[in-house]
Parts: sequence; structure tokens; C-alpha cells
Amino acid sequence: MSDLSPDPEGILKRGWSAEVGDYAIAGGWLRRGAALAVGDSAGGIYVFKGKSGATAWCQEGAHDGGLLAMAVRPKGEHFATAGQDGRVLIWDVADAKVTRAIDVGNAWVEKLAWSPDGKWLAVACGRQVRAYNPKGEEVWHSEDHASTVSAVAWASADELATACYGQVTFYSASNGERGQTLEWKGSLVSMVLSPDGDIVACGSQDNTVHFWRRSTGEDSMMSGYPGKPSALAFDGSGTLLATGGAESVTVWSFHEGGPEGTRPGVLELHVKPVSTLAFERRGMHLASGGRDGGVVVWSMKKDGQGGAVGAALVTGVLSELYWRPDGQALAALDGDAGVTVWRIQ
Amino acid sequence: MNMPQKVPVTILTGFLGSGKTTLLNRILSEEHGKRIAVIENEYGEVGIDQALVIDADEEIFEMSNGCICCTVRGDLIRVLSNLMKRRDKFDYVLVETTGLADPGPVAQTFFMDDEIREEFALDGIVTLIDAAHIDQQLGRSDESTEQVAFADVLVLNKTDLVSDETIDDIEVRLKDMNRMARVVRSKQADVSVDTVLNLDAFNLDDVLERKPTFLEPEYPFEWTGVYSLKTGRYELSLAEGPDPEMSLVVAGDQASDDAALREGAEWCVRRYAEPPQHLQPKDDIPLWDHVNLHLEASGRKSFFLVVEEDQDVGLYTQHTAEEFDIELKTEDGTVISPNAERTWVAQHEHDDEVGSIAIEADGDVDADKLNDWIGELLRERGVDIFRMKGFISIADEPRRFVFQGVHMLFDSQPDRPWGNTPRRNQLVFIGRNLDETSMREGFEACLI
Repeated sequence: MSDLSPDPEGILKRGWSAEVGDYAIAGGWLRRGAALAVGDSAGGIYVFKGKSGATAWCQEGAHDGGLLAMAVRPKGEHFATAGQDGRVLIWDVADAKVTRAIDVGNAWVEKLAWSPDGKWLAVACGRQVRAYNPKGEEVWHSEDHASTVSAVAWASADELATACYGQVTFYSASNGERGQTLEWKGSLVSMVLSPDGDIVACGSQDNTVHFWRRSTGEDSMMSGYPGKPSALAFDGSGTLLATGGAESVTVWSFHEGGPEGTRPGVLELHVKPVSTLAFERRGMHLASGGRDGGVVVWSMKKDGQGGAVGAALVTGVLSELYWRPDGQALAALDGDAGVTVWRIQ
Repeated sequence: MNMPQKVPVTILTGFLGSGKTTLLNRILSEEHGKRIAVIENEYGEVGIDQALVIDADEEIFEMSNGCICCTVRGDLIRVLSNLMKRRDKFDYVLVETTGLADPGPVAQTFFMDDEIREEFALDGIVTLIDAAHIDQQLGRSDESTEQVAFADVLVLNKTDLVSDETIDDIEVRLKDMNRMARVVRSKQADVSVDTVLNLDAFNLDDVLERKPTFLEPEYPFEWTGVYSLKTGRYELSLAEGPDPEMSLVVAGDQASDDAALREGAEWCVRRYAEPPQHLQPKDDIPLWDHVNLHLEASGRKSFFLVVEEDQDVGLYTQHTAEEFDIELKTEDGTVISPNAERTWVAQHEHDDEVGSIAIEADGDVDADKLNDWIGELLRERGVDIFRMKGFISIADEPRRFVFQGVHMLFDSQPDRPWGNTPRRNQLVFIGRNLDETSMREGFEACLI
């Protein structure tokens, strides 16, 4: 991003930055933004103080071979991490230690997701998905999927969705009973659900975005992406679906009967493919991060059009962006082991 | 942002029991200074500590458009995307496939997926062949044939279990299928690591050095039979066949081993280039000369061969003996069986479909025309073209351009400057039922 300087511009104001040990893979805000957890690819776990960025605690090498996923439990007192060692660890933020260690299986544990009420932890390991309670006890596990599970997401507190090659499958949270399946021949690499759980959108290896409306059974495919849309985000009202898969951000609007037959908003500032997207929970601010190290905040309209209101540059490929729950700060994790937090003004 | 060099990847493929795991262990023990990641699809006995061995289920991801050239290996994308997120990156990645794996999707993964392509470069495809069981493998499954067709290096293993002649035959057969590949012989996968890893740098130059076999001519004859004859007069009898005439050269002092047959074939190619002497039935056939037998008359026809001293003679016939039911008889009518027989058109020998085409031309090509031609060729025939490799002299470009492709996906990039070396173009295609004439004409139309 040649026209961006490391100095943040627009509504992004300098906050703090820190370093972890290796490629920052995933993280999340804890305790309503009082702290930020980050996991790196070497298996290091870091907890930073939310305001100053000072290290509250850290532990290196928590997962042999490396960390693959991290998920903060709603309310932010616990988080779970998973890795190549086939284990899931549940951490207590206040005590700075592992409270539960789960041996899931021989395969990599690649995806984690807490249910919105924090009652269940969904874990994808190889071709199976498993549900655990916060004590780390397995509640149920699925049959084998058609391929390794590529994404997990909660449709509601009671229903889990999984994606794999050719299919999205829904499971009852309490007993793992298989519900609806949505089929489409293609390798689904990412998945996001609208907040009401009705719209399921998946990015596919063949450079398309496929989505289904569960209530009506309609499905649509959006093509024309130059790359695979692995970054997807819904806004808090379920109106806008932001998608990567290109140097530009493509935003489909579900407002007034769309997006079928409508032109999407195309947000252009990144010079390399967009690698992560995050909507601020309540407002219409969308943050995008690219493989170029650029971070842009866009102010969006209901029709999917938007304009840049803030921008910044970090040194590595952006891996994740996390809005602080109050919307007043944005955290960026990058491939150069960087953690950067900007205040929003 | 620093731009690290791409991590080279070697795909190790081969029939079941051909020695992949043995070779893998050899590489790992010899390359002990390097950080190597091994991705396996079947449980192997890789016992080297410093290597990271990852078992992944083979997951073949077809695209909704149904195009086989877009099919990739999802397991590799997943594993490699995670591996590249480490500071202490791997120096090398080895992908070991199952015996029945189609190498296409594995290779395509390194072209099709942008993120993988950015970090990894396909260095080469190494296929192991069990010399003792090649017949059971080739021809029985498409995958086995394709593993040969896709290879950069063919390791002909377990050569101690078969005769030298058999090995020679296998090697000829493999080269007929894939002229681009280097064939390396081994007993227990004991090949030098240099011959299988880091091929990229010298691959194409190596192909050039091997030019004599690489640009092997298509022979103008399809069959040779070697007969031990005593002094005397013999009858060559032919039934009605597919052609009203047939060319023939009879070579004297013809030994039956493979080298002698190839030598004889080279000599006969030159005789075939000379205008033939036309013979009618009942005529005598001279030794050493190109003759054309006229076979318009119905029924069996006979010509005569006079041998002035005891010797083995080789009949190099334009068509196969089978097509004309060719018989060589003594004067009393006893049919003589040949000591050795050989069919020269590779496609008739084993695999009807898979073969190589080499195109070579001096001079420069027009970049736009070349792009159009390759684009059209790959759109129309991409499914049948397994590999494409070569270098090109593009007009006004001081460096030579290196091409490498898998099915309809290809990469081209500038390589070293031409300097004082003569500017030329060389392309090799390995594929199924390729039309050599039209491809050659298509390329020549791109020359300036």
C-alpha cells in the first residue's frame, strides 16, 4: 500500500503495538476489552493489557508443532486454543493457566467456536466435529464428513453449522443430531452466517461465494472473484456480506431483495488480496486487512457502497482483525508476529 | 515486508511397492542438515527424527465447472498453508502420494492456489517404477501411466531382479511415453539425492544435453525381424494388406540385441531416405538397399532373397509383419521363425495413447502469437496435455523464457540471458493422443 504510511490516518489513532513469538494466528478481546489474547504459529499464548499493551502473561510452546486456532468464550474469562498436537486447551484468563486439556485425536485440530451462550465448544479435528462442555467433557461427535471440516460456526446457541467439501451440515448443539444439509459441489473453504442464522455464505476454492437462505431454500452463487474468498464477514444487522477473494473488498447487500441482480459495492485501496474482514458489531464500520499489510476502515451504507474513513499499515500479512466490544478500538494480528491496536476516534 | 524465496516441493510418486518409502528415508538421512517436511497419504515407515512428517488423507477437490485441470488436493493446501506460517520455515517439502494417486491434482495445486503458489514452487515429480512388476502396473491403471507421463525423473528401481535386456526394454518403453524425463536406474532406491531434488535449476539444460535421444526420429518402418539364414534362396511371402505397396530394407549381419537393433534402425533410416528400387512379385530383393514391393495383385505374393553366405539378416519393413502376414520360407517351403522381432512405433508397443512431442526451432518467436497459440492449444487440448516444458526465444528479449505447465496451467518466466549462445526454442509436450503435425505447424507459425 504505497500511499499509506505506518502512521495511522483518519479515524484510526495510534494505540499500542506488541510482538509475539511468530506468525500471529488468532486471538480475541477478553473481559470486555480489558485484555487481548493472541496465539502464534509456534504455539505461544500471549495476553496483553487492553489499554497499555503491556504483557499480562504469556506461555510459549503450548502446542507442539504449532497453534492452529483460538476462540474466546463469550464473557471473556476463558479462551480455548488448538494445535497440530491434536489437543485443545481451555485457559483461565485470571489465573493465567490451562484449566482443561483435551486430547481430541491424532489429526490437527484446526477450528474452534464457542456457542453464543458459552455453553458449548465446537472443535473440528480431521473429518469430525466434536462438542465439549466448558469442563472439557465431550458431549457428542459427528460422523465423518466428506472431507476435513473447513469451517465451523454457530447458527444460534442451539445449532452448529459445519462446512466441508461439497456440503454445509447443521447439528443440534445439545445432542449432535444432524439437521439440515446444504449441498453444493465445490470445496467450501470459509463460512459465515448472518446474525439471525438464516443466511449461510461460503467461499469456495473455485473463486466463488455461494450462499443459501435457509428459510426459503433459495441459493445463489456469486462468481467473478480472481482468488478464493477465504475472508467473509456479515454486519450485525445481516444486511451486508463483505467478501475477500481479490485486492478489492466486494460487499453484497441483502437490503430490499438483494443481492441477486444487484451490483455489489467494490472497495478499492488494497494492493494485494484481502486476507481478513471484520464488521464493527453495532455500526456500519467495516475493517479490512490485506496481504499487503494494509488495514482500512470503511464506512458502509445499506446498499453496499462505502468509503474509507481510516487506514494504517503494518509490516506483515494481516491474519485477523478484532473490534473491541465497545467499538472504540481495533486490534490487528499479522504474519510478522505483530499485534497492533488503534483507538477509534 | 521481506520476500523469502519459494520453498521447493518434490512430489514422490510411484506404484505400490516400488520403493517410495526407501527413497524417502534415503533423502532424509542424506539431507540431514535441512529442515524437510514430508506430507504422506499412506502410513509409511519414515523414521528420521528431524523431519516433520504429516499424515494427511488424500482429498481431491473438483471444481463446480467439472474441469479436471482445476482439480486440486485440498489436504495439501491446508497443510502447506499452515506450514508456511512459521518463522523457521522448511527448506524443502516432499509430498509422497499413494501408489494409485493421480499426479495431476497434486501438481496443479502448486499452480491453481494463489497462496500456495506464492510460497511454494514445484521443483519436480519423481516417479518410482518397480522394474520387476512394471507390466502388471502399466496399462492396468490410468494412474500408473499418468505417473510416468507426469514425471521429471523416472527411478527404475529393483533392477537387480530382472535381466539387463528387460531393463533396456523398459527404459525404451518409458522414454517412448515420456521423452522429457530422465531415467535413473537403481537397485534399492539408492539414487543420488541430486538426481531427484533441486531439479529446477538444471532441468531444461539437462534436457538439451540429452538431445540425441530426446529428439529421436520417428522411424519410417514399423517392424523388424531378425532371421538366421544359411547360404541359399528364400521366399518372402506376403498376404494382402492395408497398402498396395510396402517399403523394405534388408540389412545383413544383423545382431538381435537391443543396441544392435537400434544401430541397424539408424542405418536403415538413411536407406529409407533414398529413392526405392521398385520390385514386382517374383523379383529378387537385394540386401542393403531400399526397395518398394508392389502388392497390387490379389492373393499372396512372393519375392525372393538370395543369401550368399551364412548370416543373420534384419528385415526392416514399413508395416508390421502381422498386417501382411509376412512369412520367410526356405526353398522347400519351411517357414522360418525370426530370432528377434521388434516393433518400432512406440504407441503400438504398449500404450496406445500417451506419448511425447518435442518441437525445436532456431530463431525468435512473436510473444503475442505464441500466447495466442498456447492459449488456444491449452483450451482445446489441456485435458490431454499432462506436462509442457521448454524454453523460448522471444523477440527483443535478452533473456530466454522458461515454460513449465501442468494440463492447462502454466508458468513462464525469464531465465538467464542468451549471451552468445544461439537463440533457439525447444518445447516438449507429454500427453495423450497429441497431434504432432498440427502442433508443430502451430508453433512454427509463431516464429518471426
